[in-house]
Amino acid sequence: MAAAPASAAFHAARRRLFDAVFAAVAPPTDPNLSRRRPGRDGIFDDLPASPDALTPPPASVRWLTRATFGYSIVDAIAFNALGSTDEARWQAWVDQQLSPATINDAVCDALLANAGFTTLSRTPEQLWAAREASSNYFQRMLPIAETECATLIRQLHSKRQLFEVMVSFWHDHFSVFGWDYDGGPLFPPFDRDAIRPNVFGNFRAMLQATCQSAAMMYMLDLYGSVSGHPNENYARELMELHTLGAENYAGIVANPDSFNNMNALGHFTAWDGEEERLRYVDDDVYEAARALTGWTISGSNWWGPVGGAAPGTFAYDDTRHDQAPKHVLARYFAPYQAQGDGTRLFDMLAQHPGTAHFIAGKLCRRFIGDVVPDSLVQAAANLFHQQWQAPDQIAQVVAFILHSNEFKTGWGTKMKSPARSVVSALRATMSGFVPVPDNTSTYTPTEELLGRMQAAGQRLFYWPAPNGYPDTISAWSSTGALGLTLKLLPRLLEMHETESYNNAYPFIVDIQGQTLAAFPDPADRTAAKIIGYWCDRILGYRPQPTFGVVLDFFRQEAAAADPLDLVTDSTSNGQPQHVGVWHLNPPNTLSRHYTIARLRVAIGMLLCSPEFLRR
Amino acid sequence: MNAFNRRDFLKGCCVTALAAGPGSRARAWFAPPDLLPAAATEDTLVVVFLRGAMDGLSLLPPGASSPYRADYEAARTNTRVPVSGAGAALALANTTWALHPRATGLHALYQAGHAAFVVAAGQMQPNPVVRSHFEAQSNLEFGVGGGSGNGIGWLTRHLVSGGLPANVPLPAVSMGSITASSLLGSSDAITMNSGSDFRLDTFHWSWQDDDAAHGIVGAVGRMNALWSGSTTQLERAGRETLDSLALLRPIDFNPWDATNHPNGYQPTGGANYTLAYNSGFGAQLRNVAQMIKLNLGLRAVTIDLGNWDTHVGQGNPTQSYDWFGNQVESLSQGLSAFYTDLSTAAQGNLMQRVSVIVVSEFGRRVLENADGGTDHGYGNVITVLGGTVNGAHVYGTFPGLATAQLYEGTDVAVTTDYRRVISEALIRRMGNPNIYYAFPGYSGYAPLGIFQGSDLPPTGYDQIFGNGFDAA
Repeated sequence: MAAAPASAAFHAARRRLFDAVFAAVAPPTDPNLSRRRPGRDGIFDDLPASPDALTPPPASVRWLTRATFGYSIVDAIAFNALGSTDEARWQAWVDQQLSPATINDAVCDALLANAGFTTLSRTPEQLWAAREASSNYFQRMLPIAETECATLIRQLHSKRQLFEVMVSFWHDHFSVFGWDYDGGPLFPPFDRDAIRPNVFGNFRAMLQATCQSAAMMYMLDLYGSVSGHPNENYARELMELHTLGAENYAGIVANPDSFNNMNALGHFTAWDGEEERLRYVDDDVYEAARALTGWTISGSNWWGPVGGAAPGTFAYDDTRHDQAPKHVLARYFAPYQAQGDGTRLFDMLAQHPGTAHFIAGKLCRRFIGDVVPDSLVQAAANLFHQQWQAPDQIAQVVAFILHSNEFKTGWGTKMKSPARSVVSALRATMSGFVPVPDNTSTYTPTEELLGRMQAAGQRLFYWPAPNGYPDTISAWSSTGALGLTLKLLPRLLEMHETESYNNAYPFIVDIQGQTLAAFPDPADRTAAKIIGYWCDRILGYRPQPTFGVVLDFFRQEAAAADPLDLVTDSTSNGQPQHVGVWHLNPPNTLSRHYTIARLRVAIGMLLCSPEFLRR
Repeated sequence: MNAFNRRDFLKGCCVTALAAGPGSRARAWFAPPDLLPAAATEDTLVVVFLRGAMDGLSLLPPGASSPYRADYEAARTNTRVPVSGAGAALALANTTWALHPRATGLHALYQAGHAAFVVAAGQMQPNPVVRSHFEAQSNLEFGVGGGSGNGIGWLTRHLVSGGLPANVPLPAVSMGSITASSLLGSSDAITMNSGSDFRLDTFHWSWQDDDAAHGIVGAVGRMNALWSGSTTQLERAGRETLDSLALLRPIDFNPWDATNHPNGYQPTGGANYTLAYNSGFGAQLRNVAQMIKLNLGLRAVTIDLGNWDTHVGQGNPTQSYDWFGNQVESLSQGLSAFYTDLSTAAQGNLMQRVSVIVVSEFGRRVLENADGGTDHGYGNVITVLGGTVNGAHVYGTFPGLATAQLYEGTDVAVTTDYRRVISEALIRRMGNPNIYYAFPGYSGYAPLGIFQGSDLPPTGYDQIFGNGFDAA
């Protein structure tokens, strides 16, 4: 074997090389820091997501953290005004959030109106025409760029937080890569007309609406699926990802409707008395693909627009529909049913108990934890199934989950994903940041933020595969995603409006100003009070060791009750004051050194704490 | 995750354990158990995953004299790789298979005897076969013959059973934001998307780093204390992350630049990692080469190259628009740069201890569709390269492209289980005979002779663990 020599000399040489590589680093003195390997057996032991010993924040903080894009003091104040007990407030809050139209969202609406977006209200045909006329990449992709920014604005500033959380859920469920060269320019109606109107509504309606949207048609190639040459991409993901789920997929099974296979794969009696198979096989995918032949976007194929349909709009092309009979999940599709084949397929899938279980499971995992008792999933699934024709089907299921004991009592069984961490941090720090796309050479905070979210693994509408972003601790706590999230969060407090690295502009988060305003009397500006205040603002409580670690950092050698100077800035040579005073001249009074900057760093540390990332 | 606890086992028998303190992972280590493989090498195994199901019949089409050429041409019109004229496939030594014309780097490696292909390879389990990307990828990476088992990937099981010494600083890297499933559950693996980006450097400079001269302990230095409070999955991951960031912090992963990056990385041998498409893949390969040259002890690497799901507009090499060709170029040029770089290292030809295995979840259907693309199929090509590969050879038994020879009448049948290829690398290159532990449910190891090295009697891990594997 031509393996490398395993001699002692070789190991010594390796060791020297390694030491040389790490010569710049002091030997680890912190017992929590180790080089790789020592003391470890290679496989992680099982740890609970949330051990009993964890000190949780108050109930209202837990609930709001899980049901919104992150805890904020503004939401907390509004929540506390909703009743006299947490239970009553929660009931009222959920009721209110499930009726988003009743929530005054004028502030967010105004931010959106003033952001200067030009593509978001365009019709499909207008977007199509703009795509055909676009002369550069920025113009071409502006519709997805604006959708991305508008979504972030809503997540940050909308009071309809549960609605936005569910928008995010459904976008992950019906995941479309936004920056597709063909589909990206047509993206807004997918978000505006297919997802948003149905977020709390009827799953069956949303299912068909997403199918008919150009962004989805391009994502999964349905637009070119025609009789004789069905493209099965959409049909496969329709079953695997949108409805029945892989949990109901049985693989390649020949003759699935035989007596034996029907028993092996399970069957049930559908709403109209027909017997259907429970688990699906590849043949079902092919048959479903045939059922949807002719469903297309007018003008997307070489043969041009379909009938009188305007280019860019959904069209059903009867001349390219496979009119022969079909069998899906053992159900017979009679010949010559035209577009009825497709609508019947959606009916079947929407009322299938497998779909109910798959979606109820995903909803439970989103709101409660990576592992949820199947009893809860099944109960939610039963409700989803029974209400499959109700116009508020999804709202009913969401309410059921939010009022469940598992939701109300759990904590720490989820973590914030990178994108959610960012939005949560900006909400907690009351940033007024309004991201907008631009095409200038200026490095804007929007550009920086989106780039860093991408680096952390979660830019919105950027997951390339149709299965959507993962939703588990094990995915988002990967060293790559978590490391880049810990890198991103403190940077939020250093970014400037307009030009991210230019000190002449205000910060996108005004930590100094908010702190001074919270403690108008300079005598109150002690490390203990300030860190306590920001713990309450960001975490909703003052957990240890986080509170102590950040307090010790911020106070340095000063006593926790000593006031600190957060006003005097030595760098006010025409620039905004935001650093503090250089104080590393003997006697090195660290508590006075760059105190304004140190405050931002301290709050950045709070954002990097496990308590901030837990939910 | 439902892992068994090797630590508890080790405490019970053959161990010298020095605990540094309750809950601490530091400074306590266990001597390798006697029964771990004595033959363990310091090789590196790089697994490249082509996500989305790469069309193997376009990467490695039947050549002009192939008995399968007529069936191939009958099935492929818009996606056909021609054997003459513009865009003609590259002829390969010792075989009637040919190589996609954009794979010039791979072609040179093959002709030089450093690369080989395995045809009709894939997943023989589970049965029934699945044609779902996500399930098939998961099945391949967990390696338990279908399903995710106890949530631990096959590379993780290889690493823990492979005789890894305790003092290896960086045994495994998963290149990406999110850990590849094959490395899930491993406490030996770092996941990172980009070496140069993977560092904490965004706090205000005044209080970011330690400044011993002035008594400053900066924010980065206090992060560990922030994460030391309790023991949940999240805190453990946080400490792993901080540990990983600290480990890699001294390394400058940027390309060398006399002014800004004097300690940056300079590939050797004229290796060009700058890819016209999929630039991230090139940068990741460059990062891996740098870590191998730094001798951090890398044993296992996963890298992804996506965008292979060519249901529509796959292209072909006679067209100016050639999506698949662009993909092939990325793969080929990237791997070629990697090989060139490592084989010309100052330490010598490091490719002598590096093996690369390129897999995809399944192949694509033999008959192309009406959209100039191909749909989900079954059997596929596995590409292997390395300094100790018995290259310039196409391995495996090809069952044929006639309809009667196809799986279910539509797909290339699978005659070589992917576990057979990987198992050979584990035994002959990594010196780990515990292949039935890495791949529970696999049996009948029979090397194809792709890799140079000695065979060891294949085993599971039962001699240590009793049942060895906590099956789902």
